[in-house]
Amino acid sequence: MNVTRWLCLFLLVFIGVPARAIELPTITVKKAEGVNLAFAGVGGSDGPAVSKVLANDLSLAGWFTIVPAAQAAYTASGTASGGSLQGKVVDHAGTTLLSKTYTGNPRTVAHLFNDDIVATLTGYDGIASSKIAFVSSHTGHKEIYTADYDGFNIQQLTRDKTISVAPTLSPDGTKLAYTSYLTGYADIYLIDLTSGARLPIVKFPGTNSGASFSPDGNRLACTLSKDGNPEVYVLNASGGGPKRLTNSRGVEASPTWGPGGREIIYVSDQKGGPQLYRMLSSGGGSKQLPTGYGYTTEPNWSPDGRRVACSVRTGGGFAVATVDVVSGSTRIVSPPGNAEDPVWGSDSRHILYSTGSSLILLDVPSGKTTTVIGNLGKVSEPTWSR
Amino acid sequence: MKHLLFLAAALVFVSGFAGCAKKSDQLTTGVDGDYVVGTPLSERRDGSAFFSDKVIKGKFEPVYFGYDSFEVSDQQLVNVGQVADALRGMKNDIIIAGFTDDRGTEEYNRVLGEKRALAVRQALIGLGVNAGRIQTVSFGMEMPADPGSGDAAWAKNRRAEFGIIK
Repeated sequence: MNVTRWLCLFLLVFIGVPARAIELPTITVKKAEGVNLAFAGVGGSDGPAVSKVLANDLSLAGWFTIVPAAQAAYTASGTASGGSLQGKVVDHAGTTLLSKTYTGNPRTVAHLFNDDIVATLTGYDGIASSKIAFVSSHTGHKEIYTADYDGFNIQQLTRDKTISVAPTLSPDGTKLAYTSYLTGYADIYLIDLTSGARLPIVKFPGTNSGASFSPDGNRLACTLSKDGNPEVYVLNASGGGPKRLTNSRGVEASPTWGPGGREIIYVSDQKGGPQLYRMLSSGGGSKQLPTGYGYTTEPNWSPDGRRVACSVRTGGGFAVATVDVVSGSTRIVSPPGNAEDPVWGSDSRHILYSTGSSLILLDVPSGKTTTVIGNLGKVSEPTWSR
Repeated sequence: MKHLLFLAAALVFVSGFAGCAKKSDQLTTGVDGDYVVGTPLSERRDGSAFFSDKVIKGKFEPVYFGYDSFEVSDQQLVNVGQVADALRGMKNDIIIAGFTDDRGTEEYNRVLGEKRALAVRQALIGLGVNAGRIQTVSFGMEMPADPGSGDAAWAKNRRAEFGIIK
């Protein structure tokens, strides 16, 4: 080969290697394949408690096929006592890929370790340390509850004794906005989850609902009817400076943000049944995102921006579908039975949705489902931190 | 003078009503060609929570809607006309509460209910009622008039109810 070709080959080899390779192994994991992982357990006085949670996390993560050590590409293990977990991941050759100490209660440290294992071995976010919130009418009124992603640590967040609905967690999980009828009207409230302080932040005339935080947590999109028609608006995260984005004769609702907060997908029935539309968050450029279903609502954009999850009406009930925003290809991902209100996890791999009587964690590539909330009566409208 | 005013009011009423009837001939689905921009809502009144005892409910028949529609039909406009008449004879403000049946998803139904309330409000404005007198709220699929399933129950739930603020 001549000098030019050698040079090209040289550049290709060195530029083609991801910069991340310095910290992480250069494996490419297709979402449908499993990484063969052995879990050697967690020793120490807190070992059993941590092990149990971690084993469940690793199973739910979806990335891993848990195998005996002899077949594994990687092995995870740890020691836990006195509120501290030392976690370790080694490869088949015994090279340490991850060695870290975590502090907190057994559930917390197990979740943190799981998320680092996922990040180290796949490059994706783990979901085990995330929080969920949802609506339950268990008390006789619709109230907002929070929980860990696996359904543990359920806490009743509101005691409004009215109708409290449409919760949305900020991506960092520190704030929750929701709709409540405390005044007799639908207004949006903001709860600081650290201090517990609550403020009414959006209370224009008419109906204020459907709040959704931008990916950086600094803006809120929602539906307001104050100008005489329900439209999508963007406000700052304290509820001020409303900017109207849509202007049609029909119903506009349920905005969801794309990566970087550049675009919004929302629902409009301007052409008949409710459908998805995509537009710039600065205004303009609205274009339908067809799904092939006559009734498409409750969109939620995946963090990686590739797909929108939504509820579609089919066969007399609802199913959860994903829509590829580039190709428009739509497929139902929920198993048979009513499925609504989907929300993506930070790994853009899992979806949490409601059946009406339970919240289901769905691993989209494998189709595996796990009930995470099942004993709180009617549950709906889950939201998920990142 | 009084007679002139009455005549003027009657003319406004009739022309408004006739206008509505003509417009609704062109309507076929929930997506209408009448109102591109709605009439902005005015500040809420104190003591106007729809389900509180400060709001008198049940004095007027609700307006009913077709499935996934916010169109006020010709038939329902007669009812709205009677409400407009009654409002001419009183000073109270009113609040219109929109509802849906329980098919469909929660947030979309909250917004559809609001659109129904606004559509009735707009019809009243078209009949000469001052926009500032009318508040709206939506309860979506909450508080059905008929908790059952099936077409008959669902039809009773797709409604806008009138409340008179004391």
